[in-house]
Amino acid sequence: MNNNIETMEAPIITARGLKKHYKRGIETIKALDGVSLDIRSGEMVSILGPSGSGKTTLINLLSCLDAPDAGELVIAGRSVNGLVEEELVNVRQGVLGFIFQKFHLLPTLTVAENVELPLMFLRRQVDREKTLEVLRQVDLENRAGHLPKELSGGQMQRVAIARALITDSKVLIADEPTGNLDKANGEAVFALFRRLVTEKNLTVIVTTHNLALGGLADRIITLEDGLIIDEHLRQ
Amino acid sequence: MRFIAFAFKNLFRRPLRTGLTIMGIALAVAVAVSLIGFNIGYRRSIDVSIDKLGFQVMIMAKGCPYEAATMMLKGGTGLVYLPASTYDQVRSDPDIAAITPIFVGVAEKEGSGINDESASSFAIISGIEVESFVSMKPWMTMSQGAGHLGGRWFADDATGEVVLGYEVAEYEQRKVGDSYYVSITPYGQTEPVMSEFKVVGILERTGTQDDGTVFMPISLARSLFNRPTELTIVGFKLKNFSGFALRQFEQRWAKLPEVQVVGLQQVKTTLVSLVETAQTMIASVAVVAIIVAIIGVINSIMMSVFERTGEIGIMKAIGASKSDIFQIIWLETMAICLGGGVGGVILALSGTSLVEKAIQSLIDFGTRGSMVAITPQVMLVALLGSAVVGCFAGLYPAWRASSMRPVEAIREGE
Repeated sequence: MNNNIETMEAPIITARGLKKHYKRGIETIKALDGVSLDIRSGEMVSILGPSGSGKTTLINLLSCLDAPDAGELVIAGRSVNGLVEEELVNVRQGVLGFIFQKFHLLPTLTVAENVELPLMFLRRQVDREKTLEVLRQVDLENRAGHLPKELSGGQMQRVAIARALITDSKVLIADEPTGNLDKANGEAVFALFRRLVTEKNLTVIVTTHNLALGGLADRIITLEDGLIIDEHLRQ
Repeated sequence: MRFIAFAFKNLFRRPLRTGLTIMGIALAVAVAVSLIGFNIGYRRSIDVSIDKLGFQVMIMAKGCPYEAATMMLKGGTGLVYLPASTYDQVRSDPDIAAITPIFVGVAEKEGSGINDESASSFAIISGIEVESFVSMKPWMTMSQGAGHLGGRWFADDATGEVVLGYEVAEYEQRKVGDSYYVSITPYGQTEPVMSEFKVVGILERTGTQDDGTVFMPISLARSLFNRPTELTIVGFKLKNFSGFALRQFEQRWAKLPEVQVVGLQQVKTTLVSLVETAQTMIASVAVVAIIVAIIGVINSIMMSVFERTGEIGIMKAIGASKSDIFQIIWLETMAICLGGGVGGVILALSGTSLVEKAIQSLIDFGTRGSMVAITPQVMLVALLGSAVVGCFAGLYPAWRASSMRPVEAIREGE
């Protein structure tokens, strides 16, 4: 557990005054209204907040899947402001790994093929040994040849985590990763995150509704109405 | 895993839809391939048939050149005749290298002993002058097969001898030395008269209308048909054959009443242009089929793209660039179109005879034998065409997919 934040490395993600507004008819929805934060390497951060608080919007911006209307964002030392989509892809590739609530595994690919999919986009050679090693880290090495439909929800989420790990991503970004899982599987996923942070010095940013699970992170950020209303270290 | 393998896996997620889309393309390609094959085969067949007439120019009675040509190529019933004096007038032309008179008549077959309702009950009788006729067709030789040994041409003054074309002999099961019976209705009479001939020779197969013809001395034929002073055509070879020489020749002899001078190149053009009318109709069907198939492909791929909106968003999130997504969707379209192309070629190859029958029902060919020639070049063109169709059909769905913003795509997909 990394309780001593001060001793950690320099921020891998720096956000200053991030804003994201949406138009709905004549109404302007302030999904994010000036969020600033630093996330350091080897840190596990959970973002809590009720529905509509801006969690997913923030995580989409931090993961370069969306662009802010205002504010500054630096990822792994590179400012992403004003970058076009293809440039954002370059920032994401090999730095950021994603885990989604609904797993989003491709049904026709085996577990191993799903895990290896990002390598195809990165034009990297597939090394089945490495794939099995990553699957071993998520305790699924014996499921490499299975199709997603043959797995439980918890197993599918662990495959999604393995898919994020295969590219040696520095940061794992997980949007409600336990939203479709039962309590035991949810706890197992968070335990896995913790292990990856400890053993591989990964940075994990995770959004959740679950206060108990969110409380397992090193730092807990609470959002409401597009603003950070609370930020504290794990007790 | 490579992009192409990934694209194939995506296609197999909806095997029925993929299969039906491929079938749509295959049908369109099969129609197009058959049409092109027919076009090539027909022209080739016309060339062979006309070249093997042995002469470059013919004089015949005035009338439709198409009917005249088809009559010469495969026989016909609407025969018209020209006066035999024409032959005597024309033979002195200084540009003529060779000349042969031909009298064609239609007789009823007798005693073939074969009951085949689909076969014609008529025999094409060709009265010829052996020496001049054979000098124009040096490839016409006597068959030496079983039962054909000892074959020879008849003398020009023979009265009871015939030489059979290869198919006539085969169909009638005649050997050299057998009798051959036909009933001929002499001009001006109503009752047919049965005649018996001795088969003195059977010709080798030529692949032309001659295979289905019964040859006899021209004097005998004219006598039997009671047209002693008439001919059907006079065939020529010119000394220095050229378009100019032909026009000169035509101008000299067009003055004769009741005759027309027809260059065989002109006959080729006439036949091909007439069949082109039918081809245009079929080509229209092919074009419509191809357009429908392209729309089907675009529709199918678009449906697939929309169904996979979330997935595309995820792929972008995990590292796929715009061009990666474009490539995947485009490859899927290409695979469908190329699969359709291969299927269409196979379909066309296996359905050649059906296509021939279908086209034959639309128009009289004017030639014999197989009309659809699906060459390797045609197959290559079909596959290239399918690839080109795939290229274009895949552009829009691929562009749509690659233009999706990852966040919106993931949200829509959920």
